[in-house]
Amino acid sequence: MQKLVEIQGVSVNFYTYEGVVQALSELDLDIYQGETLGLVGETGCGKTMTALSILRLIMPPGKIESGKIYFYTDGGSPIDLLAIKEDEIRDLRGSQISMVFQEPGAALNPVYTVGDQITEAILLHRRQELAGKALAELDKLLASDNGKSPQILKPLRKIQRRLYASIVDDPMAVPPRFVEHIPVVRRLLWRLGDEATRIAVSLLREVEIADSSRVLKQYPHQLSGGMKQRIVIAMALACHTRLLIADEPTTSLDVTIQAQILELLKKLKSEIQTSILYITHDLAVAAEICDRVGVMYSGSMCELANVEEIYENPLHPYTKALMAAVPKPGSELLAIGGFVPDPLNLPTGCRFHPRCQNAKDICKEQEPAPVGITPTHFVSCHLYDGEKLGNSG
Amino acid sequence: MDFRSYLIRRLILVIPVLFGVSILIFVLMQQFPPYQRAMLYVTDPRQMANIEDIIALYNLDAPIWEQYIIWLGQVFQGNLGWSQVVGMSVTDAILNFLPATLELAIFATPLIIFGGIWLGTKAAAHKDRFIDQATRAGAIMGWSLPTFWLGLILLMVFYGYFGGLLPPERLSTEMNILVHSASFNRYTGLNFLDGILNWEWRVTWDSLRHLVLPVITLSVVNIAFIMRLMRSSMLESLGKGYILTARAKGLSEKVVINKHARRNAMIPVLTVSGYLFAAIVNGVVITESIFNYKGLGWWAWQTATALDISSILGFALFSGVLFVLTNLVVDLLYARFDPRVRLGGSV
Amino acid sequence: MEGLRFFFYHIRKNPLSVVGLTLIIIFAIIAIFAPLIAPTPEGQFDPYKIPRDGYSQPPKPPSAEHIFGTTEGQYDIFYGVIWGTRTAFKIGIVVMGAVLVIGIALGSIAGYFGGIVDEVIMRITDIFLAFPPLILAMAVTIALGPGITSVMLAIIVVSWPSYARVIRGDILSIREEDYIEASRSVGSSHLRVILRHVLPNSIYPVFIMASLDIGAVVLTAAALSFLGLGLPTGYADWGQMINFARNWIVGTQNNTFAYWHAVMIPGLFIFFFVMGWNLLGDSLRDILDPRLARR
Repeated sequence: MQKLVEIQGVSVNFYTYEGVVQALSELDLDIYQGETLGLVGETGCGKTMTALSILRLIMPPGKIESGKIYFYTDGGSPIDLLAIKEDEIRDLRGSQISMVFQEPGAALNPVYTVGDQITEAILLHRRQELAGKALAELDKLLASDNGKSPQILKPLRKIQRRLYASIVDDPMAVPPRFVEHIPVVRRLLWRLGDEATRIAVSLLREVEIADSSRVLKQYPHQLSGGMKQRIVIAMALACHTRLLIADEPTTSLDVTIQAQILELLKKLKSEIQTSILYITHDLAVAAEICDRVGVMYSGSMCELANVEEIYENPLHPYTKALMAAVPKPGSELLAIGGFVPDPLNLPTGCRFHPRCQNAKDICKEQEPAPVGITPTHFVSCHLYDGEKLGNSG
Repeated sequence: MDFRSYLIRRLILVIPVLFGVSILIFVLMQQFPPYQRAMLYVTDPRQMANIEDIIALYNLDAPIWEQYIIWLGQVFQGNLGWSQVVGMSVTDAILNFLPATLELAIFATPLIIFGGIWLGTKAAAHKDRFIDQATRAGAIMGWSLPTFWLGLILLMVFYGYFGGLLPPERLSTEMNILVHSASFNRYTGLNFLDGILNWEWRVTWDSLRHLVLPVITLSVVNIAFIMRLMRSSMLESLGKGYILTARAKGLSEKVVINKHARRNAMIPVLTVSGYLFAAIVNGVVITESIFNYKGLGWWAWQTATALDISSILGFALFSGVLFVLTNLVVDLLYARFDPRVRLGGSV
Repeated sequence: MEGLRFFFYHIRKNPLSVVGLTLIIIFAIIAIFAPLIAPTPEGQFDPYKIPRDGYSQPPKPPSAEHIFGTTEGQYDIFYGVIWGTRTAFKIGIVVMGAVLVIGIALGSIAGYFGGIVDEVIMRITDIFLAFPPLILAMAVTIALGPGITSVMLAIIVVSWPSYARVIRGDILSIREEDYIEASRSVGSSHLRVILRHVLPNSIYPVFIMASLDIGAVVLTAAALSFLGLGLPTGYADWGQMINFARNWIVGTQNNTFAYWHAVMIPGLFIFFFVMGWNLLGDSLRDILDPRLARR
């Protein structure tokens, strides 16, 4: 498979009143094209930070300290997302890489209709396409003009044609941008909005919302949680996404809606072939939808494997404890002993060692490096130091 | 509840408040002896001679509630009494001085609202950086300034020191004569507008020159207030989830702030704008008294110091009623602005 | 102790609050030691009457006898501003205290009991809030006759409604909290619940408002005396002193700023006094707000 994203040695720190918090420590992770990669872990382990780093949305007091994130564009050559200019990454945000957040209610702006918010993304990233379609329509109109339409329309249409043509050449062309700011005149560009709305309608149908044109005109508070999340997903898919980052998209919804949204995501996954980075704390959900799963703890990756491998043969003590902690009817609740480490005062060596039953002396001193037990199964634990390919236990 | 029932409920609530306003004025009125209270019923200076008859006629010795009814009746007929200080009925005085104050308000209000919103947005967008600290310091200083002191200093500098560059009062003597002459048609009473309508640019220019200092004096304190409110409102708005979504969509920082954050942040500012009206009427009294600018505020000041109670109470009643109505309009506008209030509950 | 460290950390980050506190302390010292700094002349019974050195109109510039000069009518400016500090504190504290008591009492009752009681009290506050404050204060001052008491009463009348509303709002939200219900369910009387649970949790924003508003109260009082209402002529009050100076702002023929002292000095006193309270209240708000948000 081809790589889509290569995260190399990314560290994120937060500078707070109480001290420096290491949210991510030298994270390495690859995401392949077309796959659904799950990131599992407790709250605060760095999953969301990973997602925000890819989009370079870490705001002060957080800071991306070091590392590279390579994104393989359509042309094939990778670009370092952490090094490119601000307007270049803005081009990618919402189009090639987009994100769905946990709380759909909070993600939507209450004073604009949901239609406005979806078309906003479309108008931003697919401007040339929209202008192209508008241009084609106008050309048709101008060609078939047999003198029946009122005289005033012809020059107006010619002006419109000039504007749309310049957008097709260069989406950032100044004259149309200038026109957009003038109250009455900007109506000349109405076709862009119309096209965008048409696309939005079909997007809503993709996410299984009936009566899309009516829904587009509603405000967020008028819609249910499930509906809002579908809209947020639609918004994320609006512009030919190649990587969809879903940060606990179903956590705040009730269980029946959760199931629906999961089904929807699975359907979309098979239809669109985007890669999905699926962040969750729920192992069952990860098993449902992911191809590979990575388990994170306290800012580092403990274990990374194909979904079958990790569920049938969990290697890292933390992974094993997580699996065991899932409540089973009839048996005792097995919690993981100890406490989540204080982010200001992380344990030395392996972060998990204070809570690990198999902890050895070396675990206190040295952070374990990832070891490949199989070509697809990696684990960072001193228990497996020296294990080679094929020697899995 | 939806917009219509909200509207009806608001309208109904206004009525007892208006009555309460009149009762409060009436209670204040009762602090004065019958002779002075009689002034509130007089419409003609000649009636003053027959003050005993007036007292009898309006039953000023009768029980309170009876007097209230009588007085209220007079008010509804438009009779607010006689203003000794300016020699006309109170109602006439209000109508007479209103245009001048309106002129001030027309220039000051947009300055306050837009200036405050713009400064507040900038301060929030660049939080803790220089522009933020500077505007905050400026706001605190503006808020601490006694308006009258600022006005005096401005006069001292721009009128005294710079030799009459920005003078007090509404118009220079020369223009004043022109404006009151037969050839000049007072369409609106607003000098700068009348100047345009009469094709007399000199009048417009002159009135604008006279307006600069009063408008500044009036605005400074209020801009500081709006700016602080806008800033904290913006900061709250910028912390919300939809801002992160907007950034994740790839929108530029400018669009995120101006389109997404600001719209939400303006809502509390809008609700406050009703009170802005009260603040302006407040400020107008002081400002007009300093600059000898003959508007409602100036009149209120003159009548207050002269103990012309019919005027001061009439003015208080007028501004009270006006304020209640303004707030009603603002509340309705707010409902329009915030779709959550307008369209009622969710699914 | 942790709270104190937190407090000082924020004070360090916010130097303006230190400035504010310092200003207030300086003014407090002036007010307390007024009789020492500007002793009342022999035989004058009322210390708040500014001594006059003659009756001529034009203000005289600072001299050995009159450190800050004299204003219109030969009132000694130095004496006036020093004792004016006392007036300012008196008005500010008395008015604020009364407003807090009335506002909290009525606001708590309205918020806690809700229903009809709430509606009625809210309508009453609406009525008082319907007037531009200065206008109402003017009307009340005239109705009650001259004197410092009527000035204070007028400002109290005008200010209490906003506090009642704020407290009511806070109480309405706290009322729904579980610990209130818990307290009631073990038999606490209404009063006990209000005093022990509701008030301590809703009091912070009110105190912030109060410290910011002392400045506003003093400004309103100054405005009233500037307009010539309320205080008797010659009373040691900053606003009145500016009123005396208003006719002299254009100075003499050759020197516009001949009488600057009469205008600037009382004005500066007002400005710094109000600013001190504003800075303090502002930084209190900045400190307490994120703390509340951190909950």
